[in-house]
Amino acid sequence: MTLRYDGTFEGFLTLVYEVYYKKYKVEFIHRPSKEQKLFDDAIEIVYDELKSKKVFEAMQEKWTKAEIQRVMYIFLCDEQEFEIQLLEYIQIGFKNPKELQNINYSSVFFIHNLEKELFRQYHKYSGFLRFEELEEGSLYAKIDSKFSLVYLLGCHFAKRFNNQNYIIHDMKRALAFVKFGDSMDVRSVSDFEEPTKSVDEEKFQSLWKTFFHSVSIRSRQNEKLQKSFVPLIYRKYMSEFT
Amino acid sequence: MQNAKFLKLLKKVGYFYTMKKDIYAKMQILSESAKYDVSCSSSGSDSNYKTGELGATHNSGICHSFSADGRCISLLKVLLTNYCIYDCAYCINRSSNDIERAAFSPRELAEITINFYKRNYIEGLFLSSGIIESENHTMELILRVLKLLRHEYKFNGYIHVKLIPGSDDVLIDEVVRLASRVSSNIELPSDKSLKLLAPNKTKSKVLQPLKLARDLSLERTNKPIGMSTQLIVGATPESDLDILKLSSVLYDKGLLKRVYYSAYIPVNDDKNLPTIVAKPPLLREHRLYQADWLLRFYGFSYDEILTVHTPNLDEELDPKTMWALNNLHLFPVEINRASKEELIRIPGIGVRGAHKILKARRYKRLGFEDLKALKISLKRARYFISCEREFERSISFYPEKIKEALLKPEEKAQPNLFDVSGISGEI
Repeated sequence: MTLRYDGTFEGFLTLVYEVYYKKYKVEFIHRPSKEQKLFDDAIEIVYDELKSKKVFEAMQEKWTKAEIQRVMYIFLCDEQEFEIQLLEYIQIGFKNPKELQNINYSSVFFIHNLEKELFRQYHKYSGFLRFEELEEGSLYAKIDSKFSLVYLLGCHFAKRFNNQNYIIHDMKRALAFVKFGDSMDVRSVSDFEEPTKSVDEEKFQSLWKTFFHSVSIRSRQNEKLQKSFVPLIYRKYMSEFT
Repeated sequence: MQNAKFLKLLKKVGYFYTMKKDIYAKMQILSESAKYDVSCSSSGSDSNYKTGELGATHNSGICHSFSADGRCISLLKVLLTNYCIYDCAYCINRSSNDIERAAFSPRELAEITINFYKRNYIEGLFLSSGIIESENHTMELILRVLKLLRHEYKFNGYIHVKLIPGSDDVLIDEVVRLASRVSSNIELPSDKSLKLLAPNKTKSKVLQPLKLARDLSLERTNKPIGMSTQLIVGATPESDLDILKLSSVLYDKGLLKRVYYSAYIPVNDDKNLPTIVAKPPLLREHRLYQADWLLRFYGFSYDEILTVHTPNLDEELDPKTMWALNNLHLFPVEINRASKEELIRIPGIGVRGAHKILKARRYKRLGFEDLKALKISLKRARYFISCEREFERSISFYPEKIKEALLKPEEKAQPNLFDVSGISGEI
């Protein structure tokens, strides 16, 4: 049996509800896709606030905060298919919350690892993200990541750039984390124009490149190692690699 | 005033000193001169951001880039200046070397640091310097950068400062109050080697500022400031045992958080230095780091790893595997019953792997297949463990047999004619 839901956390909770009460035997779970297949026999799961809320409350009652948060984080891993495993994970958790730590279940292990992978990427980008200074002094960074990271990264930089205004722009998902003064939020970007950089921007970029190249020791050259630490996918907006 | 004095001094030493070097050239020269310092960690400081200010440290540290030699770039690692009155044989900046010299002004360096930080290039600053004029004068210049960053720019990010051996206690006290971590490089593992290659330094002179820094910071808090040092490997005849013993003593005294090992790279010709070094001893450096990790995170003592009879680390196998082969009476370890301390001593199983095992075995008895499902590599571990009745039966339980099996190159599966995946890579 194939189900389709709207791709959101709340929508998925409705799906959990339906599967439980209608006793579906689920084989595939699809997210909405643009092209409708000709022989599509997927059952459409329509988001229902009440049903979602019920499931969520049940989770709150039985699970720890970290376990609920884990489920929410999984939805940031949007380029990965996780639905079948997540459904099983939630079902296991409802039967016995203690089993949510039992990594001998392949679905529990999968979900734990996916969360780790998310945080690994988040950690990498917290180092590899590059800001550019704009005309009026705010900082602007582009990101093109596999998972949706702007929210996590935005909060990370709120600590270190506490007296700065900044924007982290997710080019793939057309999302942006905007911090301006005391306000912080994630917005969707409808149309976008390349912003003008500050006068000093070029100077510091080439100063950084100078540093980057002269700090490396030639007799220890090891580009394979470098590539394993900074895979090409991360290098898109890193000025020292362009 | 001070500059004029400085100039005069340099002329006396015979340097041609140009004040107006362009900033890119300075950056090139001064990072080039600092790069042989291997320390680059930005970890170990808890987050300490303040509202309305710039900068925070991150407990696990953050790598911001990796240079072409595969080393992490976390800090802006530069010298304030590479002028130096010392003449240490192994050092690229020694006074008798004919190299280009430059100096940052404290303001210049502070500004670059802030601008790099705002662009997320770096986690902070690693500040060292050649000795100009005197130890105290150099320490004062460094302190000026530190004060600019902390007080004027309100910067709370990571700052690692190299303490200048021989400078006043008062100055060191001020530095310790403002820096995130301080260090002083021993460079050579014995006094004899130091005397030969760095006539201006002795081990106690190098350690003195570190001891002072520890005592000073202990007076104020119960968590002393993080400190580190660096040892050059392969320039002098010390054995791995000598080096590891020294590190171990320094860790035990609570003096240091980390010791860095730097494979000797010949930058100078000197009659006292090894002349023919085709390649820096990178493997030896790597093995020393592995042994160092065993000391710090795996509960080993140095004399378990090395003895007078085998004073050097094995090149073919890592130190933990070597230890296990020499102590085969402690194996095989039963995965389902061993303590955490025993688990992390199994070759090929690290702290993470041990945690996974502890977590998973609460629910069931683990077998080899379970370990594989948990993505625990059995490549080395398989010879040293048992899971209930399971163990590696194909190899008899003798050190030389296991060693042979470990060193045997892995067999590559021959692509079968009917096995499409082997050829095309598709399923």
